[in-house]
Amino acid sequence: MVLSKPARLRATVEGPDPVVVEVDGIVPSASDRADSHPSSHVRPLPDTVASRAVGQRRYEAVVDGWVFQVSVGSADRARLQERVSRSAKEAGLQVHITIRAQIPGRVVRLWVKTGDTVEAGQRLLAVDAMKMENEVRAPRAGVVGALPVGIGQTVELGDDLVILE
Amino acid sequence: MRRSARPSLKRVLIANRGEIALRIIRACRDAEIESVAVYSDADRTARHVRAADHARHIGPAPATESYLVGDRIVEAALSCGADAIHPGYGFLSERADFAASCEAAGLVFIGPSPETLARLGDKLAARRAAVSAEVPIVPGTFEPLRTDSPKAMAEVAAEAERIGWPLLVKAAAGGGGRGMRRVDHPAELAAAIAAATREAAAAFGDGAVYLERFVEGGRHVEVQLLGDDHGTVVALGERDCSVQRRHQKLVEEAPAPGLSTEQRRMVHTLAVRIAATVGLRNAATAEFLLTPNGDFYFLEVNARLQVEHGVTELVTGLDLVREQLAIAAGSPLSPPVLAAAASAAEPTHHAIEVRISAEHPLTDFAPAPGKITRWREPGGPGIRIDAGVEEGTVVTPEYDPLLAKLLVVAPDREAALARLRRALREFEVGGIQTTLPFHHWLVDQTDFVVGRLRTDLVALTWDPEPLWRAAAGRAAEAVAQLAAHEAHEAQASGSTRMELTRGQETGSTRAWQEAARQEAVDRWS
Repeated sequence: MVLSKPARLRATVEGPDPVVVEVDGIVPSASDRADSHPSSHVRPLPDTVASRAVGQRRYEAVVDGWVFQVSVGSADRARLQERVSRSAKEAGLQVHITIRAQIPGRVVRLWVKTGDTVEAGQRLLAVDAMKMENEVRAPRAGVVGALPVGIGQTVELGDDLVILE
Repeated sequence: MRRSARPSLKRVLIANRGEIALRIIRACRDAEIESVAVYSDADRTARHVRAADHARHIGPAPATESYLVGDRIVEAALSCGADAIHPGYGFLSERADFAASCEAAGLVFIGPSPETLARLGDKLAARRAAVSAEVPIVPGTFEPLRTDSPKAMAEVAAEAERIGWPLLVKAAAGGGGRGMRRVDHPAELAAAIAAATREAAAAFGDGAVYLERFVEGGRHVEVQLLGDDHGTVVALGERDCSVQRRHQKLVEEAPAPGLSTEQRRMVHTLAVRIAATVGLRNAATAEFLLTPNGDFYFLEVNARLQVEHGVTELVTGLDLVREQLAIAAGSPLSPPVLAAAASAAEPTHHAIEVRISAEHPLTDFAPAPGKITRWREPGGPGIRIDAGVEEGTVVTPEYDPLLAKLLVVAPDREAALARLRRALREFEVGGIQTTLPFHHWLVDQTDFVVGRLRTDLVALTWDPEPLWRAAAGRAAEAVAQLAAHEAHEAQASGSTRMELTRGQETGSTRAWQEAARQEAVDRWS
C-alpha cells in the first residue's frame, strides 16, 4: 500500500502571545514522540465551532504541570488564513473585539458605561474570584460598544464582558 | 490513672470543607467516631460530603452565607446529635466567639479555650505574652500606632528610627500578609501606615497596626504544639515553611534543614514556654523567625491545626487529629505523644509537603478555577496525598484555591527530595492550571536542594516566563507529532479510528460523571 506524503502540521498554543510549532509529516516512532516524556500528557479536547470552521483539532497538553490548549491543523491552510486576515487589516477594516471572562467569578466593579471612550490599558471592570479582585483592562483604545454585564452578576469562563468598537 | 473529664466523643461535626474536612473525617473513622459533614450548595457532591457518616446542608455557596455562619453550624450539630465540633483551619477555627457559642450550646470545641483564642488573635497581646514568658521577639512596638495628630506621628517616626530600617508595618489582627507593608525609607512611613491600616480594617474589621524590624534573609520556622486539659504542653518538632510568596506558604518540611540538636531543643523550649503562658490546650503552632545569625524571634501562635501538620505526622508517626479528638474528650496526652516529644530534637525521618492550588504560576498565582478533567495521583513508597477534589470536580471561585497536599517521607532529606521529584512526575492534573509547575521548578533549584532556605527565595529567583515558553514549545511539538502520528495511522488502516477514540472518551466521561453526580444527589438531598 502506498501512502501519500502527510501534510506539514502547525500546532499553536492558545493565548494572547501564541507559541507556534510546525512539524513535517514525518511520523516519528512512539518512543521519539515528545509526549512520551513522563511528566507530560496529551488529551483530545472536543471541537469548537471555531476550530471546526478552520479545520483544526484541539488538544490539552500538560508539560511539567503547565496546562496548555493546543490547536493543530494543516500548516498551509494556517498560512493562507494569515494572509487573508493581514490583507483585511491592510484594507483598513475596523473590527470590534470582545473581551471575555478569563476566570469565572462575580462582577464587583464597573468603571465604564456604554459609549465611553477608553485608552489602551484603562480599567474596565473587576471580577471577584477566590477572594481576589481581578481587574479587566482595555487591550487597545476604543469605544465601549456593549456592556452585557452588571454589578453583582456571576460570570462563567468565556462569557462576554465588554464589546470594544 | 486519672479519669477522663468527659466520656469519649461519639459524633463529631466538621465545620469545614475540602481536603481538611476529608482529613478529619478519616481520623474520626480510624477512631470509630461518627462524622458529620456540612456543605454549601456548591459542595453538595464533594468528596468530604460522601466520606462522612452524616451530612447537613448549611446554605448557599458564598462562605459568608454558609461555612462562616457560626449559628447555623452549631444548629446543625445540635440537630444531628453531635457532641463536638472540629473547625479545621481557616473559616471559624480561630474565632473566640464561635468557640464560646459551641461551649454555650453544650458542644465540645476541638481547639483552645475561647479565652486563649481571644488572646492569641491579637498579635500585640501575643507579643506582650512572649515578653512576659521571656521569649525573644522581633524588635518593634507593643501598642496600636496612633497617627491622629502631628505629635503622635512624630512619636511613631521616632519609634521607627529606634527600631531601624527597613521595617514592617503589620496588622494586629493580621494574617496571610494582609495589612502588611515593608518600609525602606522614613519618607514612606506615613503612607505605608495609612495603607496597612486601610487594608487591615477591610480584611479584619480592625485597623490597628504596629511596627516590627524587617529581618533580611530570615527563615520561617514553626513548632507543632499539643496541650491537654491537665496543663501538659509538649513540642512535637519544628517545620521550615520558608518557601512562600507574599506570605503564603507553598512548601513545608520537617525537620527544618541544617539546625543543630541544640537549636532544635532551644526553639521547642521557647514554643512550649509561650504555650504555657497563654494556657494552651489542644493543637497549635508557634511561629518563629530564624535570622541568618541563628537567633529565633517569636512571631505568633496559630491556635489551630495547620495546613502543613502532615509533615510532622510523617516524621513522628502520630495522627495529630486523632490526638486532638482524644484531648478534646479530656484525655491526658497519650504515651506515643510523650515519646515523640521526648525525641523531637533528634528526628529520624524527613518529610516535605507541596501545596497544589488552583492558581496560575505564570500570572502571579492568579486564581484559576474550572473543571478538573484529569486527576491522577502519584503512589508508591513514602507518598501521601491529602486531596479534597477528584476527576470531575468543579473548582469554584468561592473558596480557598488549595486543592491538595502532596507529602513525601524518607529517612533523610536527600531521599525525600528524590521521592518528591518522582511523585511530581507521576502527578497528572488536567482541565485547570495548578501550582505544579512551580514545584517542578523548585525541586531542581540549588538553594532548595541544599537547604539554603529564606522567605524571599521565591521573590528573588522565581521567573516563570521562560519556563512557560519552553514548556509551551514542548506541548506544541507533542501535539503536532501526536496528530501527525494519528493521521498517518488513520490513513494506513483506512479507518476513522481517531474520530472514534475521541467520541468514546468524551462520551464515557460524561456518562460516568452524570451517574456519580446523580448518585450523590440521591443520597444527600
